[in-house]
Amino acid sequence: MTFRTIARALEDAAQSTRNGFRFLDEATTAEPFFSFGGVERATALFGGGLQAFGLKKGDRVALILPDNQDFVFAFLGAIRAGLVPVPIYPPAGLRKLGGYLESTLHIVLRSGAKVLVTDSEIKPLLGTVQARARELRAIVSVEALRRSQEPLREVAVDLEDTAFLQFTSGSTSAPKGVVVSHANVAHNVHAFMKLGIRIEDGVDSGVSWLPLYHDMGLIGFVLGPLYHRNTVTFLPPFAFLKRPVRWLEAISRHRATISFGPNFAYALCCKRIKDAELAGLDLSSWRVAGCGAEPIRAGNLEDFSARFAQAGFDRRAFMPSYGMAEATLAIAFGEVGQGFRVDTIDAERLESDGVAEPAREGLDAWRRRAIVSCGSAFPDHEVAVFPPDDESSATPLPERRVGELRVRGPSVTSGYHDEPGLNAATFAGGWLKTGDLGYLAGGEVYICGRSKELIIVNGRNYYPQDLEWEASGVEGVRKGNVIAFGTRKPLNDRERVVVVFETPLGEGPSRDALKAEVQKAVRQGTGLSIDDVVGVELGVLPKTSSGKLKRAETRELYERGQLFIRSSARQGGSVDTVTEMARSQLGYLRDAIRGDRPKE
Amino acid sequence: MNWTRESVLSEVREVIELHSDDGKRIEERTELVADLGIDSLGVMEVVAELEDRFGLHISDADLREVVTLGDVADAVFAKLERDGRARRSTEEAR
Repeated sequence: MTFRTIARALEDAAQSTRNGFRFLDEATTAEPFFSFGGVERATALFGGGLQAFGLKKGDRVALILPDNQDFVFAFLGAIRAGLVPVPIYPPAGLRKLGGYLESTLHIVLRSGAKVLVTDSEIKPLLGTVQARARELRAIVSVEALRRSQEPLREVAVDLEDTAFLQFTSGSTSAPKGVVVSHANVAHNVHAFMKLGIRIEDGVDSGVSWLPLYHDMGLIGFVLGPLYHRNTVTFLPPFAFLKRPVRWLEAISRHRATISFGPNFAYALCCKRIKDAELAGLDLSSWRVAGCGAEPIRAGNLEDFSARFAQAGFDRRAFMPSYGMAEATLAIAFGEVGQGFRVDTIDAERLESDGVAEPAREGLDAWRRRAIVSCGSAFPDHEVAVFPPDDESSATPLPERRVGELRVRGPSVTSGYHDEPGLNAATFAGGWLKTGDLGYLAGGEVYICGRSKELIIVNGRNYYPQDLEWEASGVEGVRKGNVIAFGTRKPLNDRERVVVVFETPLGEGPSRDALKAEVQKAVRQGTGLSIDDVVGVELGVLPKTSSGKLKRAETRELYERGQLFIRSSARQGGSVDTVTEMARSQLGYLRDAIRGDRPKE
Repeated sequence: MNWTRESVLSEVREVIELHSDDGKRIEERTELVADLGIDSLGVMEVVAELEDRFGLHISDADLREVVTLGDVADAVFAKLERDGRARRSTEEAR
């Protein structure tokens, strides 16, 4: 196996005139197709155009490009020019721009980007970024780059050189840039394409609506297919979110074999696609339906299988996965063609002892908890479980013991760009600390939740998502608008469990009755008694600018007694806004859908 | 159909009311996300429904800096006017 840089992989693929990238337009039926030879020529012009700004090898170039075709050409063009692209998500609709601009400025400053490429519609919005980022020489419109005739000057790039910076979320910090080297990409692509998907070079084909400023879209559907010369059809994220059937239509029409989505995407298809839209869909070509980037709910995948079987969907196509930007993209995959597997464990043992014991036959429904397997670690990569306080990763926990998942291997980053303090805290004895809690069973990875949000009552661990899930099912509760957390306030004596939900019911007897219902539902579902149930007006729960609920801030507001103030009347500090933007790397697409809390 | 700003507003309000299961009166200055708690995927449903009702195409760029019910109505009205399918009432044209 010889590992190649991204530029080398593109030059090799350029021999192909049959395979390449197809870009669906959101508004029209246009489907422009570029063979990899065409991609090679277009990216050379983009790269030459960027070099013309006097940029040197290793200089960072920020990209805010909502159009898939522009993004792919600019990203690959920058890499071929020896530059380091820094993808930034575009502003989402129906939000105020303030938080977006703060976050963008932070990324531009921290990455030290010298040039920012965007389109002529977004460019006028970025005045404050240009004014405050002193190293930023120019904001370039992509329309100008498209017309570039500058020849690309060859730059010698090594496998160990940085390929790009993937800015990502942290639950307690501002966006931080994962350094992704060409070697990281080459190893990860080999692992997920060859060993995971068992890709047939030049034969398999993909469809993706995933945003390209996120690792699943960028690495999974631009870089992976480039190395293996597979045709990919891209549609804009907005097209899928507006009309989810567009995703399945693209798979059907182009006879795609590979497509991925987060859990919510499959649920959204069930919710939004009408029966009439099913006619004419043929999903029988789809052999790998990947699922990752957020917790996987078996029920959602079951529903999708049942609903789309009539369109030829084979449930064995489901392939759950586990990964993170710090491991380039993926670290564990399910077995191809095997569908998803569920481990049903005893919730009582999980909560009280941190042990994932298979549920005995006849165990009460509330004590049974179904967890979807994320498959096993790729060869040459490792996933192990450690006690969260094991700072040197000295003693891994045995199978079926819950702890922090830690990973290592050639896909794992060397660290974050210009974050020495953070880097020291991110690695423990050579392992990357993921912050995810989970366990291994039969060598397969199972995820329980995030360590920072765990609610600990009388030595037992509860996952807030589980409490929220139960409360969300009560009629009168605004679905998906529930937050559970533990707090030691006001007495600092013990952890109290609080559940806050939004409801259209005003203060009075009916809201009080609803609180009792919520208390009961959570007790029945999890066996836990809530100390305080709070019903609030719609819009009170704090959200990120992309609409995700903010658990930590809700707890703070509760502790300060400010939870009843409408969110629009509260003043958000800019640092806080940056933090919260960071938490939603998937932005508007990974938001809470009804009753389904995304991973924070 | 020849739309006016008022008829657009009332149609948009109806769509948003359908998706906010609130029962509360929605005013021009009501914010979809902050006040009604419509999540971003709910917003997408609203957009798809508006496209169907008005026979329009709404892009993500159209939604930038659109925050309130009134903003949505303005954005839809501007598109209809560009298509020659809307007119300003005499009062507004003053």
